[in-house]
Amino acid sequence: MNTRPIPVPPQGSRLHWHLDQPFRLKHLVIAVLILALLLITGHRTEMDRMVTMTTQAVGNLVGLNDESQVVRGLSKVADSMWPPQMATSEQVARINDFNANDIPLFARVENRETTTQRLNEDTLQLESTTETTEVLYDPLGYVKTVFGKMIETLEIALWGTLLAVSLSIPLAWFAASNYSPNRVTYTLARGFISLLRSVPELIVALFLVLAYGFGPIAGVLALGMHAAGFLGKFYAEDIENADKQPQEALEAIGAGKIKTVLYAVMPQVLPQYVAYTAYILDRNLRMATVVGLVGAGGIGQELKGRFDMYDYGHVMTILIAIFLFVFLLDQLSARIRSRMI
Amino acid sequence: MSQTPTSMVKLSAIDKTWADGTRALNSVDLEVPEGQFCVILGPSGAGKSTLLRSVNGLMRPTGGNVRVDGLELSSASERELRRRVAMIHQHFNLATRASVAANVLSGALPEVSMARALCGWFHPEQRKKACHYLERVGLKPEHLHRRAGELSGGQQQRVGIARAFMLDPKVVLADEPVASLDPQISRDILTLLKDAARELNATVICSLHQVDLAREFGDRIVGMRSGEIVFDGAPEEFDDQRLSRLYQNADWGDGQPGQVPEDSLELDSAGGM
Ligand SMILES: Nc1ncnc2c1ncn2[C@@H]1O[C@H](COP(=O)(O)OP(=O)(O)O)[C@@H](O)[C@H]1O
Ligand SMILES: [Mg+2]
Repeated sequence: MNTRPIPVPPQGSRLHWHLDQPFRLKHLVIAVLILALLLITGHRTEMDRMVTMTTQAVGNLVGLNDESQVVRGLSKVADSMWPPQMATSEQVARINDFNANDIPLFARVENRETTTQRLNEDTLQLESTTETTEVLYDPLGYVKTVFGKMIETLEIALWGTLLAVSLSIPLAWFAASNYSPNRVTYTLARGFISLLRSVPELIVALFLVLAYGFGPIAGVLALGMHAAGFLGKFYAEDIENADKQPQEALEAIGAGKIKTVLYAVMPQVLPQYVAYTAYILDRNLRMATVVGLVGAGGIGQELKGRFDMYDYGHVMTILIAIFLFVFLLDQLSARIRSRMI
Repeated sequence: MSQTPTSMVKLSAIDKTWADGTRALNSVDLEVPEGQFCVILGPSGAGKSTLLRSVNGLMRPTGGNVRVDGLELSSASERELRRRVAMIHQHFNLATRASVAANVLSGALPEVSMARALCGWFHPEQRKKACHYLERVGLKPEHLHRRAGELSGGQQQRVGIARAFMLDPKVVLADEPVASLDPQISRDILTLLKDAARELNATVICSLHQVDLAREFGDRIVGMRSGEIVFDGAPEEFDDQRLSRLYQNADWGDGQPGQVPEDSLELDSAGGM
């Protein structure tokens, strides 16, 4: 309606044509500043040293020089990591209620001879004594342990997501400006959501381990709280942006706020809610492998324990398990996504 | 306060000035008896929606008071009053992603417990009633589980009417229920609405901007312009002469000439105050 005509200069007036260069001094100054910033921050993060060390490593690998800290460090670890640890052996005497007829699949009881040298105090001679101990040897024992830990990781992720969803639904209600009872509840809810979102899972888990001790409780709570912040924010924003017309229809007959949200908002936002929740589940599955590093249960806790004890063979088994887990997860989610579309 | 037993809706001296200074209603008095099909006629911007929305409190008037079925509208009585007043909307206002059945059932929500609402577990009588009204408005059983947004405009308004009748309303407010539909479907919808209301002896206040539809369906025509009632009488009294006198220079805003006699067809944007 309100279109303005393009102004036309009066007949006969001279027009000034000129076409500038695309860059001016201003742009040069900005470019120099950016370069300086890159150099300073690059030096502070030791990017220069990284380049030197990597060059050395590459040189060492192609036989140009014979010293490289990186290659030495990596090959030391790689040597001790291979082969991955699969078996466990445990002294039968240490197992409570050992039943020789009821041992795990593939496992067997072996006799191990251990020879110890000891000084005989009478003869002052070194004597070797041989002791035989019964050992339960399970060739896949550690694989089973890791599998159990992976299941625990999965459970932590599931419960973290469940906790996040159930926390964020009431949060979203109070954080949606059109349904929050008043300004105070709105501000409180938004503030709480920002707080939950702003602290990374690992840091939350660190403190929760102090409160709840080592184990999955801290993991579930850490994952749940962070994700509740994310979901609360997105759930609330979808409620705010939902089409107002159906809401007005129910408001007009006095259905009340909760029923209005259930019947006029939920049908609209549900597909988005499912997408957000699926994203959080995916994220939690990955994070659940990591929160254990600070003692919050799952495979990460096992990894940290083994790493600290220099059991690199065990570490390798765990890394393979995590890789397989994430790989399967990606396959699965790709398949689900292609089915849903 | 005393009032005639037949008065269902009574608006007294309703004023509305919007925050931007627009005077949408200027001391409007209107009394609608029980069972009447009252058409509010007026060009776009006349204040029809504002008037209708003052009846159920969706719009808070700046002055005046509203009585429906003997109950005075206040924040305390609003909820109770709204159960008796259904509303039909120009844009149907359905939850487009929800099923037709869910939309119709949602019309009964004020009388459903929270637990039932949460699980969608409506009373068997309510389900029966939803089916009854859907049949009544001319939809088929296979529409029940269709998404409301997949229906045509006319079908969506039928769902809107079925939803409005779920609580046996005393008053039905219909705000331009056929403004986005073509003329033949408009007639079908208004016939449906009128018949359904008659069955329940419900009072209907229906805003329209089509003069011919107003004459055809109204028991009474209330003409509005610029926030004031400029005509109130039987359809027969509302002849072309009157029409052209009342609505000179008015912007009917629907690009449908022929409803306004030729001599008043000067479109003028100043009319839509
Ligand atoms: N929310 C609002 N804020 C400000 N002005 C409004 C609002 N709603 C309606 N108006 C104004 O009030 C007047 C009457 O509007 P309305 O009742 O919608 O007219 P009608 O339904 O007859 O087309 C118009 O001038 C319109 O611009
Ligand atoms: Mg209107």
